[in-house]
Amino acid sequence: MIKTEKILHLKSCRGGKVRVVREHYLRERVPCYSCVCQADCVNDGKVLPGDLTHYVVPDAGVVVDYLEILEFRELQGIVITQTACQAVHHSKGRRQYNRLRNLLKDPRHDCVLFANEFQEYSYCPREKGESQEKWQTRCVYSAAVWYYNHLAGMMDVVMITEDQEAVAEYSSLNSGVYVISVQDYLQNFWPELQAAHELYSSISQALQEKESEGKEREYGEHLPAEVLEAGIKSGRYYQGTLNVSKHRAQTEAFIMMESFSNKSTDMSRILVHGEKNRNRAVHSDTVVVELLPKSEWRGKITALTEGQGEEKSREDNESKLLPTGRVVGIQQRNWRDYVVTFPPRDGSQSQSRNSQRILAVPWDHRIPKIRISTQQADALQDHRVVVRIDSWESTSLYPNGHSVRVLGRAGELETEVHTILIENCIHVPPFSDAQLREMPVNSPDKPWKVDPAQVTERRDLRQTHLVFSIDPKGCEDVDDTVSMRSLAGGELLELGVHIADVTHFVTEGSLTDLEARTRATTYYLADRRYDMLPAVLSADLCSLLGGVDRYAMSVLWELDAHTLAVNKVWYGRTLIRSSYQLHYELAQALVNGEKAEVPELAQLGPEEKDEKLAQLTQALEMLTHVARHLRAQRDRGGALELEGVEVRAQLDEERNITALVPRQPLEVHETVAECMIYANHWVARKIQETFPHQALLRRHPPARQEIFSQLVESARAKGFTIDTSSNKALAESLDRAVDPQDPLVNRLLRMMTTHAMSQALYFSTGAQSVDQYYHYGLALDRYTHFTSPIRRYADIVVHRLLTAAIATERGTDVGKALAGNKELEEMAQHINSRNRAAKQAQSLSTELFQCLYFKERDPQTDERCVANAVIYSIRDNGVLAFVPEYGVKAPVYMKNREGQVVASAQDGSCEWQSGSVQRHADHITTTSSCGTSTFRLFDHITVRISVQSFHCHADRLNLEVISNKPYHSAEHQEPRSQGRCKLVQEVVRLAEEAYQQSQEKAARLTKFSKEEREFCQSKTPNLYSLLEEVRELALMDLEMVPQVCATTA
Amino acid sequence: MAGLELLSDQGYRLDGRKATELRKVQARMGVFAQADGSAYLEQGNTKALAVVYGPHEMRGSRSRTLHDRAIINCQYSMATFSTAERKRRPHGDRKSTEMSLHLKQTFEAAVMTQLYPRSQIDIYVKILQSDGGNYSVCVNAATLAVIDAGIPMRDYVCACTVGFVDETPLADLCYAEESGGVSSLALALLPRGGQIALLQMDARLHQDHLETLIEAAMTACKGVSKVLDEVVRQHLQEVSVLTGE
Repeated sequence: MIKTEKILHLKSCRGGKVRVVREHYLRERVPCYSCVCQADCVNDGKVLPGDLTHYVVPDAGVVVDYLEILEFRELQGIVITQTACQAVHHSKGRRQYNRLRNLLKDPRHDCVLFANEFQEYSYCPREKGESQEKWQTRCVYSAAVWYYNHLAGMMDVVMITEDQEAVAEYSSLNSGVYVISVQDYLQNFWPELQAAHELYSSISQALQEKESEGKEREYGEHLPAEVLEAGIKSGRYYQGTLNVSKHRAQTEAFIMMESFSNKSTDMSRILVHGEKNRNRAVHSDTVVVELLPKSEWRGKITALTEGQGEEKSREDNESKLLPTGRVVGIQQRNWRDYVVTFPPRDGSQSQSRNSQRILAVPWDHRIPKIRISTQQADALQDHRVVVRIDSWESTSLYPNGHSVRVLGRAGELETEVHTILIENCIHVPPFSDAQLREMPVNSPDKPWKVDPAQVTERRDLRQTHLVFSIDPKGCEDVDDTVSMRSLAGGELLELGVHIADVTHFVTEGSLTDLEARTRATTYYLADRRYDMLPAVLSADLCSLLGGVDRYAMSVLWELDAHTLAVNKVWYGRTLIRSSYQLHYELAQALVNGEKAEVPELAQLGPEEKDEKLAQLTQALEMLTHVARHLRAQRDRGGALELEGVEVRAQLDEERNITALVPRQPLEVHETVAECMIYANHWVARKIQETFPHQALLRRHPPARQEIFSQLVESARAKGFTIDTSSNKALAESLDRAVDPQDPLVNRLLRMMTTHAMSQALYFSTGAQSVDQYYHYGLALDRYTHFTSPIRRYADIVVHRLLTAAIATERGTDVGKALAGNKELEEMAQHINSRNRAAKQAQSLSTELFQCLYFKERDPQTDERCVANAVIYSIRDNGVLAFVPEYGVKAPVYMKNREGQVVASAQDGSCEWQSGSVQRHADHITTTSSCGTSTFRLFDHITVRISVQSFHCHADRLNLEVISNKPYHSAEHQEPRSQGRCKLVQEVVRLAEEAYQQSQEKAARLTKFSKEEREFCQSKTPNLYSLLEEVRELALMDLEMVPQVCATTA
Repeated sequence: MAGLELLSDQGYRLDGRKATELRKVQARMGVFAQADGSAYLEQGNTKALAVVYGPHEMRGSRSRTLHDRAIINCQYSMATFSTAERKRRPHGDRKSTEMSLHLKQTFEAAVMTQLYPRSQIDIYVKILQSDGGNYSVCVNAATLAVIDAGIPMRDYVCACTVGFVDETPLADLCYAEESGGVSSLALALLPRGGQIALLQMDARLHQDHLETLIEAAMTACKGVSKVLDEVVRQHLQEVSVLTGE
């Protein structure tokens, strides 16, 4: 036992005026976590490097107020004292404290925690009458002195503080310990770190403003936490997440209740009307609400709104009343970084230029305006800026914030793309050197070789198995391959799925692993891609290319040749060499028995060639046969097929997109997908059986019935009945709902089904009961993701679980302890939220590109702006329409702001006339002086597409009816794909023009074009992502999708 | 202020101890001359006084007399000034009755009562200052007092509390930790044989963790026994010097 000395520590909690005596134990050995330590401290974990000029010890006040500056990775050698840590905990609450803790844990940041209050020599007891701040400063100073002495003067120590008295008092006391202010520190040591300087001035400005705040009360005070707790327990208050309506951000917000969703559907949502009732809560905060009396309840507004000015007139057409409440307290702020736009300066904005307070408008409609005080207001006009909210006092109408970083001028492509990333909390810095150093090398002069030790450890399939991959043309990251052979004289079949062994290269806890975990997925935007793993892995060593040796993780099934029942399953690490890298069309041609040229066989003589070709064709045929059987099996269980990806990019030799061809629904797609689903399913079984409480699976909960009501009603309008009682019934009724005249109807119905579905989620098996494991869309009792470890972190986790499961089976050591249920569930939540963000960012970037495309055209003259659209939903004052040609979904107004309605003439052309609109279940009628016209669900209409520009928000596409007849209805199929190609080519052309322009003029779009050149595989705007939105929602976690991504990737 | 962090990421507890470290134990034996045996024990800021009378013949109702062994009579009380807020503590309230009963059970297991048939041993314990782990401090103090009285015991009885935070057992909880919502367990041990004299837990705990918790409690108790042993030897030395041997 370590000898400890007891010192009395007096603390008086003034709340109850009690004097509490607490013990405080001090010790001599407290680890210093420094590389240059002479005293053999037990430094495990993160250690400060020794090659720095100094260590920084920030004062408690600095850590509390300027934590964001300390988060800069450029600042190195930061020693955070325990005193400062506790100050953050006390004054800023749990959230900020956790942020600090994460910072300390993050190995990419160069900072450590020093428990100064438990160190015998650095601890100083608080003196009588000493103020808390003074005492904290003194503690931090004595910690700094201790550091200097402990490291025997080998490292200078700089203490930074905002307390000028402290600077004066301490700076000359010790020779190696410098005490300076934050500003001086930044200026002297980091003069080139402009971002930190700006951040510093913006924070200090915000702090000053806060002190000089007015006293007028704008909002009611929040209730204290104890009252809220008691209120929630007694049922007087309700707790939930505030969800501000996207379209009516000023007035409408809903509280989504976590606990009530299953008990009574009636109480699952509470409406909060108006800003006063919302009481300073911001979108996504966790709040506590109190219900208003029934007489004040309101309904939801269902009309389409164009702007914010016309809401008052709409109260009459409100739907049924919802429980309405007001916010009485906030449990947890959920503030993130927001992108705002500084409005152009005009007279009305701020009368006094000295005040320098600007009301910036957030990009997200749901966020209130943020008051920012800055001296750069003029320079920042029309720029998009990242800001953080600091506080929202009851005396202020708007929250106060400070700016963090300037993104660029609004409307530019780079700015807009970064805006999308930040709004979705996607942080993708380039891989750091330290991370890349962990990667194996594979260069022409130092080629990567298979490790002989691994050869003995792994099952070698190079000679025995015919392994091949089927991917889209030009794919570079092949993460899955298949093999097929017959055993025992044709009595048995052996199906194999071989997945790239990413976990071999990415060890758990390494820097690359941490980065991949943070990213959780590869992000695909319309024009670029942010990889989860460095390129050396994703495109080279983990890519199962043809003709080279690669490590793999394999699942091999032994099937009965006749019944196709599974006899045996083998899981394990293998060494493979893919013989053929086929693409879909080629594979399909081989299956169909057509003559096709396999590039791998081009060199061989005719006899040998025929023999090999026969072998390959036979394997493909067997594979198809098995896949058909598997598919049929799942169909019997009720698997759903929904609207999926339809186009893919075709690349030429230079990897430019030459065209976007609608993907022929080849059978071979389904074959590959089926194999992958099968592999995922069996791996899920394996890990779930071995680790019943800590396996990562993917579940898809069945959708709630009432959500389907719109779908059912829409289908009824066309005379179809949709049975949503089970997934099987739904799949069958969707198959029946085909209009021979109009193939779009079925597509739209499937799309709507997709929207109605709840999303598939990752979870840890310990966190759900067994009956919740079911995957509704695939009709499988257990499912997980195993087949794309290159681009999904979940797959990496599953690979590790599978490796551990194999090790347990063999009785060998599992190695590192597996993540527990709690940890795994947290990770699953993280991956889910990242996936959601990726999806969101992708669809936003698609919209951005659509807008960029149409922005260049004049809607009145350009015929490309006129397109065919289908009505898929009816609203009070308009309809929602889908334009298949461009994949655009947008509202079409039947009534404009002047109260005019759309009236159609005899020939179908429409114009605005005064009249009225009436909404029915399946159609909407406009009445005007020219007579009445009706728009039904699934009617084809002609629309004109134009771009509605916004200064502070994203641009939006606007549709306007010009005729109630379909546009070019005869050649409907043809222009559809062409239009898409055009869109793509057009934007590519634009980008190239811009590139040229940039060489002539100031670089407007340079980076964009450069990006393109670098990642030529992810060639600009493919419509893949456009439809990806739909796919992402789809139930079918079609394993085809990775292949499609691969094209874009 | 948000809830206290009972165990920091670096493994320190609120008062600077590591998870397995005990509070400082200080004790004296033979503090009163009037009684047969007495002891004063401090474990951190929890301070207790234990006094033993006996064995003597039965007082009060003779009907309780046992013919094969002695009965042990325990009384536990807390001083009015023992907590942060002064509070009058009536004699025989529920809490102290329960505590007395626990003490009685503990010592019945440890004292060799069969040597004194038809007699009675009285143990009185008073908490002078309370800072968590009252039961275990009482047991430890009473052990010393019993030894001071010269009553034969099978072994020292050492008691300690352990709590469970973030999958780690914390030894010897202080008041702040006890009141911080930790599921805690009190264990009285006869350390040499590793026999458990009493185990008490009234919080919820997953069954899987119980084993590790008891394990930790036993190590802690053994630590306490070492300290007590030292105290006893020290005391003996002092006494033998006085008696001039």
